[in-house]
Amino acid sequence: MANRDHPQLIDSHEVARVAGVERQPIRNGGWDEIGAAVRSATLPAMPLIAARALTKRYSGGVTALDGLTLDVEPGIIGLVGANGAGKSTLLKILLGLIKPTSGSVSVMDMDVTTQGTQIRQFVGYLPEHDCLPPDLSATDFVTHMGRMAGLPADASRERTAEVLRHVGLYEERYRAMGGYSTGMKQRVKLAQALVHDPKLLLLDEPTNGLDPAGRNEMLDLVKRTGTEFGIATIVASHLLGEIERVCNFLLAIDGGKLLRAAPIASFTEQTGTLAVDVEEGAETLVRRLADHGLTATLDGSSVLVDLPNADPYDIVRDTVDELGLGLLRLEQRRHRLEDLFSERVGARAGDAEEESAHDAA
Amino acid sequence: MTLPDARPAGRSGAIYDLGYQGYDGQRLGRRAAIAALFWSSWRSAFGLGRSGKSKIVPWGVTVLALLPAAVAVGITALVGDAVQPFTYDNYLPQIAITLSIFVAAQAPELVGGDQRNHVLSLYFSHAIQRIDYAVAKLAALTAALLVLTLVPQLVLFAGKVLSTTDVLTALGNEAPKLGQILLTSLIYSVALAIIGLAIAVFTPRRSFATGGIIAFFLVTAIVAQILTSMDAGDISRYAQLIDIDQVLIGVTYTIFGGPGFSFGAARNPPSLTPGLPGIAYVGALVAILAVGIAVIVQRYRRVQA
Repeated sequence: MANRDHPQLIDSHEVARVAGVERQPIRNGGWDEIGAAVRSATLPAMPLIAARALTKRYSGGVTALDGLTLDVEPGIIGLVGANGAGKSTLLKILLGLIKPTSGSVSVMDMDVTTQGTQIRQFVGYLPEHDCLPPDLSATDFVTHMGRMAGLPADASRERTAEVLRHVGLYEERYRAMGGYSTGMKQRVKLAQALVHDPKLLLLDEPTNGLDPAGRNEMLDLVKRTGTEFGIATIVASHLLGEIERVCNFLLAIDGGKLLRAAPIASFTEQTGTLAVDVEEGAETLVRRLADHGLTATLDGSSVLVDLPNADPYDIVRDTVDELGLGLLRLEQRRHRLEDLFSERVGARAGDAEEESAHDAA
Repeated sequence: MTLPDARPAGRSGAIYDLGYQGYDGQRLGRRAAIAALFWSSWRSAFGLGRSGKSKIVPWGVTVLALLPAAVAVGITALVGDAVQPFTYDNYLPQIAITLSIFVAAQAPELVGGDQRNHVLSLYFSHAIQRIDYAVAKLAALTAALLVLTLVPQLVLFAGKVLSTTDVLTALGNEAPKLGQILLTSLIYSVALAIIGLAIAVFTPRRSFATGGIIAFFLVTAIVAQILTSMDAGDISRYAQLIDIDQVLIGVTYTIFGGPGFSFGAARNPPSLTPGLPGIAYVGALVAILAVGIAVIVQRYRRVQA
């Protein structure tokens, strides 16, 4: 299924089934399986990430994280926030690249400040910025990074061949990376993050600079890596659509504070509002519905009806019919991820700019 | 070759598993990562595994460092023992400029690219720590310099032994000198590596770093020369201590003693200003290296990744 974008890849199970050959099951446990395995391995249930009052103030006076407290279970976690909301800072603290000003955070039950080296052996990181030496080939570079993660030389070479194939890099891998397209570079960046088979993958804007097709491929790759291979993944992005497509859990931060942490589904669940679209005469409809005792408001061209305990569907239908209006749409509204930020982003635009300037420095 | 795990011939089918696999093998951890970084850095100091272009300078300079020894051995073989242009005491001072060029060209190669291409954030997010990175790079540059300092002296050594009629006796006579060869090479290599890196770590720009290192060697030498030639009492006497070449000569002279520099007084650049006790040179070297190490460590503790 996920292989449809890579026709040259053969699904091992499919082949094994067709050929009637028994083989070792490869690791492709779904999320429940992995979560259960992780939970049973360490009792009581161990959060993937546990932050307590985590605060980071940069020397310039910018507060990137402001008393962040959260517990995250394994999964594909979307980390969203406007530019400068503190996403990269949080990832860098998890990696031990920068030290928190105060508060504590642990990854896989290991403290970031004291057990950074142990943690980093099991963490893969895809930075937001370019990080590939132009004079090296992808093979040489990824092999080198595998060894930096502690793999023996031979193992690192084998894993490099595997992960480069996994990310869809074939003959190009022997060429110097200076000549790669942005799409190929992002693939190499993902490969180097995967080469040591991490337990946790931190992806900072993995679709940065990609065209729509490249974006889709990268997102598929991320989703496949997270779901089929059971690698806990945190995807930082300012694009809600991407998060919605790939992740099953969402962390929304804004101004260094936790806005919300919940399964994606709960963000997009149905609201208590019924949206009615009619061809014309929306104002009339609002008035008439009010006469029937319903709370109706006009939102653009749609009429929004509050859903009381009683069922308003029949009343709406009859009212529309009564007025002789053409009914276009009648549906229960869903929350959109955008709603989460719509009121807040504007207010913080100034701060965000200031901080992204700091990031660039 | 993209298909691993081919089954033996004779089977009608083969299964190629091209999917992602987990890794349950060894994880060697921090020490292995440091060792791997050391080796890859050492290789890059000579442009190994890189393009042909990046080999030109390091290999050219290495040949320049080796050439005098090779020529000397050749002359000895042809003419005999009578002419011995080089001894273990004066070889490294003679090629000091060559060594400086190697450091100026290759120290930026080792540390500049990682800053320029933002690879540091990847290194520091793996099994190694910031200090480990600095240690591995310093060890790699030292080891690279050892090729230029140790190998030519070993060539001289081999030449001396093999050009005699009684090889075994000659070997017995020369063997005690091996300690001196090893130690002088090590002192030169460590000192130049530390100075080169302490300057190179400050800029991702290769040209700036190379220029900075050359400027450091030139300016300190010239200032030392001027102050020494002035008639300013103690200042003139101690001025040579800011010239790393003079300090290195003084240190090896202090340790191994003897007049040493047998290559004719007139053409002998390492003329030591008399009057400074050996301890002054050793102290100066220790001070220079301590400052250099502190600078490197501090830089990597703070550098943004």
